[in-house]
Amino acid sequence: MAPLLEVQDLRIHFPTDDGLVKSVDGVTFSVERGSTLGIVGESGSGKSVTSLGIMGLHQGTSARITGEIKLDGEELVGADPDRVRELRGGKMAMIFQDPLSALHPYFKIGDQITEAYRIHQPGATKKQARQRAIDLLGRVGISRPSVQVDSYPHQFSGGMRQRVMIAMALSNDPELLIADEPTTALDVTVQAQILDLIRDLQSEFGSAVIIITHDLGVVAELADDILVMYAGRVAEYGTALDIFGQPSHPYTWGLLASMPRIDRARTTRLVPIPGTPPSLIQVPSGCPFHPRCRYASQTGGRSQSEVPPLREVTPGHLSACHLTAAQRTEFWAELSAGKVREDTREPA
Amino acid sequence: MISFIIRRLIAAVFLLIIVSMVVFGIFFILPRWGGQTTYGLATEYVGRNPTRSAVLQMIDQLGLNKPLYLQYWAYLKAIVVGGHYGTGVNSAYCPPPCFGYSFKNQQPVWPAMVSDIPVTLSLAIGAAIIWLIAGIGIGVVSALKRGSIFDRFSMTIALAGVSLPIFFTGLIALELFSYKWPIFPNVQFVPFTENPALWARNLVLPWVTLAFLYAALYARLTRAGMLETMGEDYIRTARAKGLPERTVIFKHGLRAALTPIITIFGMDLGLLLGGALLTEYTFSLHGLGLFTIEAVQNQDFPEIMGVVMLAAFFVVIANLVVDIVYAVADPRVRY
Amino acid sequence: MRRKTGVLAAVGVAVTLTAAACSSGSSSSNGGNNNSNTNAVAFNAGVTGTVNASSQKGGTITFDNSSAPDSTDAGNTYYAFNLNFTRLYATPLVTYKASTGAGGDQLVPGLATALGTASDGNKTWTYHIKSGVVFEDGTPVTSQDVKYAVERTFDRSVLPNGPTYFTSLLAGNAATYPGPFKNRAKNLMGLTAITTPNPTTIVFHLKQPFASFNYVVAFPQTAPVPPAKDKGTNYQLHPLSTGPYMFQSYQLNKQYTLVPNPKWNPSWDPQVKQLPSKIVVNLNVNANDIDNRLLAGDIQVDQAGTGVQAAARAKILSNPSLKANADNPVTGFMYFFYINTKVAPLNNIHCRMAIEYAANKTDLQTAYGGPIAGNIASTAMPPTVKGYSKFDLYNALSKPGGDIAAAKQQLQQCGQPNGFNLNVAYRSDRPREVSSSQALQESLASVGIKVTLKGYTSANYYGTFAGVPNYVHSHDLGMAAGGWGPDWPDAYGWGWALYDGASIAPAGNTNIAELNDPAVNSLFLQLEAASSDSAQNSIAAQIDKKVMQDAVILPGVYYKSLLYRPTDVTNVYVQTYYGMYDFATLGLKS
Repeated sequence: MAPLLEVQDLRIHFPTDDGLVKSVDGVTFSVERGSTLGIVGESGSGKSVTSLGIMGLHQGTSARITGEIKLDGEELVGADPDRVRELRGGKMAMIFQDPLSALHPYFKIGDQITEAYRIHQPGATKKQARQRAIDLLGRVGISRPSVQVDSYPHQFSGGMRQRVMIAMALSNDPELLIADEPTTALDVTVQAQILDLIRDLQSEFGSAVIIITHDLGVVAELADDILVMYAGRVAEYGTALDIFGQPSHPYTWGLLASMPRIDRARTTRLVPIPGTPPSLIQVPSGCPFHPRCRYASQTGGRSQSEVPPLREVTPGHLSACHLTAAQRTEFWAELSAGKVREDTREPA
Repeated sequence: MISFIIRRLIAAVFLLIIVSMVVFGIFFILPRWGGQTTYGLATEYVGRNPTRSAVLQMIDQLGLNKPLYLQYWAYLKAIVVGGHYGTGVNSAYCPPPCFGYSFKNQQPVWPAMVSDIPVTLSLAIGAAIIWLIAGIGIGVVSALKRGSIFDRFSMTIALAGVSLPIFFTGLIALELFSYKWPIFPNVQFVPFTENPALWARNLVLPWVTLAFLYAALYARLTRAGMLETMGEDYIRTARAKGLPERTVIFKHGLRAALTPIITIFGMDLGLLLGGALLTEYTFSLHGLGLFTIEAVQNQDFPEIMGVVMLAAFFVVIANLVVDIVYAVADPRVRY
Repeated sequence: MRRKTGVLAAVGVAVTLTAAACSSGSSSSNGGNNNSNTNAVAFNAGVTGTVNASSQKGGTITFDNSSAPDSTDAGNTYYAFNLNFTRLYATPLVTYKASTGAGGDQLVPGLATALGTASDGNKTWTYHIKSGVVFEDGTPVTSQDVKYAVERTFDRSVLPNGPTYFTSLLAGNAATYPGPFKNRAKNLMGLTAITTPNPTTIVFHLKQPFASFNYVVAFPQTAPVPPAKDKGTNYQLHPLSTGPYMFQSYQLNKQYTLVPNPKWNPSWDPQVKQLPSKIVVNLNVNANDIDNRLLAGDIQVDQAGTGVQAAARAKILSNPSLKANADNPVTGFMYFFYINTKVAPLNNIHCRMAIEYAANKTDLQTAYGGPIAGNIASTAMPPTVKGYSKFDLYNALSKPGGDIAAAKQQLQQCGQPNGFNLNVAYRSDRPREVSSSQALQESLASVGIKVTLKGYTSANYYGTFAGVPNYVHSHDLGMAAGGWGPDWPDAYGWGWALYDGASIAPAGNTNIAELNDPAVNSLFLQLEAASSDSAQNSIAAQIDKKVMQDAVILPGVYYKSLLYRPTDVTNVYVQTYYGMYDFATLGLKS
């Protein structure tokens, strides 16, 4: 069975007065029906831009998009904008990070949901749409939905608003749901509820979910597959088991090592990734991570000059790194034991 | 919502009372602080021939020797029940609402103002419709086509419109379109009830002159508001829902961008209803603005007081309406 | 008087006015315009004859005024344009001949059958009223209505604006008569100096001989007013007409409209015509706009009658086809500034003389409009007044830029060596007065006299502000801009209201300088008692000199106006006495 979503060498560049911003520069992945893909990376890694690109929300901007995005076999890059619009909110839906600003303050939430519904179900009457909205609100856990359907966004708490957004996104039974940092703006306890909700709905509706986050904990909860992005490129791609169990890229190691773990002793030092993400106009030559990579010296200078290709580590587990598989296994073992090698160069 | 409206109404009434106190204060208290005597103050209200007896009578009439609160009370009372002024042939009854009696013009102030209201109303509302349509329309298009030739061109013209004074554009308009090319000859106010076609035709130049200034302002405001609104997250959500771009722009974008403009519009219209002074003067239209200018030039205190109260009334009402409309538009404001 | 316009005196005219006035009983024979000259359209054609003579009826004539008349009540007005205009609905006992040139200064009968018959050594004057005259509502006009019309002007608190000759000349109880408004039961018809032996005869009894009395009667104060229908100050809203037109509507300060009076009979006043089917007067129109409207043909007449403003003047003079529609008459009046004698420090004559020397006369002339607006004046009476003699006490002609040295000397003498503060009143809707006041402010600044300008509207200038001595004193108005034309074309007609102490009035005052010089007062008395022309002329010259020595007026220019006549207006000519187009003969070409 073909994947629901196939993204092939996607590049999204923005020409600006300061230069060409290469927000996404050669990203390849796929999502199976009903599965969950987690896309992780720092700010500026290109994860949001990728998801907006899938949804066709760069239409009308100066973005130059090349590559392939196939939704259920249908090519979206270069497709007729009206066709993409038909799919948007219908077959594929998206929820965003800050539900207060993402909901229109002037319209009742019921009206905002029915609006999404009616645009994709032209035969639906107002009554039907309203009933659908009430049903959805109930399904996402809003109490007294037939009353709350006439409330305004500012009358809800953050968690409830995100539930509303989810209800709105699900109103047309999308096959693909993209959630862009859905819990970042919420309290930790509410975060858990929302993630549970997404998981429940996914199994109930059978939709595929792409969850974008910088929080590995979230990804660990939900994702079947994980895509690690850095500077607009794929660093590592594999199943959750692969990534957490046998991470195969220095950047992924950095992410994991910098994460506080409840199962480690509190005195173990967190190892942050030194440096800052690169400018997307002046992406470093060769491997984009090399200025911050502790192991760049081990590649015999290839990190500076050659772009590492995305190579298979094990079937289905890909990584873009010049280090050999053996080196990577070794270095990861050291890191997870808490040791740092002496002969590795501190990044400049 | 109802309680919101009621609260606003009560606030408006309070505001009007305070305005009447301030106006009263300006005309009856301030001069004293400036050293004006009771006699001198009364002289300003007596007509052409301030004989001693007439002045003394005016002191009596206005109660200028009585305590301030009684004077204020007399002033308020006159508004509600009317008053008598003068004696003999000069005596006059001023029916309610009585905003004073102008001896310089031998007529009560209220009817004189009321007869000027249709002119100002015609001018203000006609111009308002034009500037709303033109200003908001241009602002929206400029915002959507930001950076384009249309945008740059229209914003430059708008800058000119906001900077050029009305008496300049008005005089140019008259010179070109009334005298040089008689497209709108003989600009004079014709009442709507008398001849609607001529009423409109004679008002075109004043409308356009007045509207040019405001349209420019509103175009810039709308553009700025639209740009800000279109960058909001809920616009992205609307697009993500798959809504057609037109719906996104107008239902989701413009509606939010317009609410601050409503506030400004209410204020502008309220102020204009008190008299578009420069426009009326340039085109010799006898509205409240010209009434005000003449009253000030003639130092006719009752008329000045009356028109100040009336103008303040319009502003307070305009504010009230704007508050209510804003609450209807933006549900976050209703409590 | 007629603060605005004056009399056109053609060159070399030496009409013995007193003789002509009192002895001539001839009425004009032919109806309408007695000026038999008709001229083709050309520059100054209206000065010597009638342009576009026509008897065509119909059309609407529109007048625009930058301000408003002091009153539309004929008994309560003093502006020249209004003395001209009120003849459309108010016919006085005698009136001026509809003619250019010398003829225009002649008196002819109006409502009276003939000019007054004098008796008792010019102390008693008798007039007979034409029979069959009625008001617009059909009520017959009697001599009592004429008596009442004069009587009511005695109450200056109700009707403050008109001339005050009747109050000062009439005998009997005139000195104390309070007018018919107060205590009406007692005072109605109570003026003993006027008797009405029968419904068509009216007799005036004067305190002293006054040979020029017909001139006094020519004022619209003698246009009849029915006592039963008088409304005091509100009568102006609809005065009952005895002329060819009557009021249709009046919105105070905005507009009034006249329509033909169906009851009118042309024999009642052969000098006026009933041609247009409607006359509209728009008030408080932007002054510069009026010229534009006139040139564009949107309106027919500028009601103020003193000519176009500077911008239009330039346009007209530089464009031959426009210039052909213009007239540049000598108007017979002057622009000047009154210098008050009571407001400190001007109560000291040397401070006043300092002003006379310091002012820059050339700048003033430029402000009034330059040489086309007239020559620089140096006397208290213009050359068009009988008895004018040329002299120059303050070097206005020899040092037109101002004599600063002499001014500074005068300042020393009046104890203000560094100058002083001065308020100058002017009419803010008169662009000429705006610029001349500013010119005055600048030139006086050069000797340290700091001028603060105070602008007022024309409509209330004389009635409420500059013409009210109490107001002048309480607001320290040391100087006031003014323009004046003679009440009639001799030194008394010019100067009595300006310079005689007896003319000072509490409201509507014309002797704004408040000059009360016994020498001047007695000269005026001698003037009216003088028997010969040469005696009159010599007394006139003495009055002029003495007034200038008293330094109560800063002369500006002997004014010439530039008038514009749109091509569709008929029967246009410059009436000598009013110094502007005759408003009562105009018609419209279709």
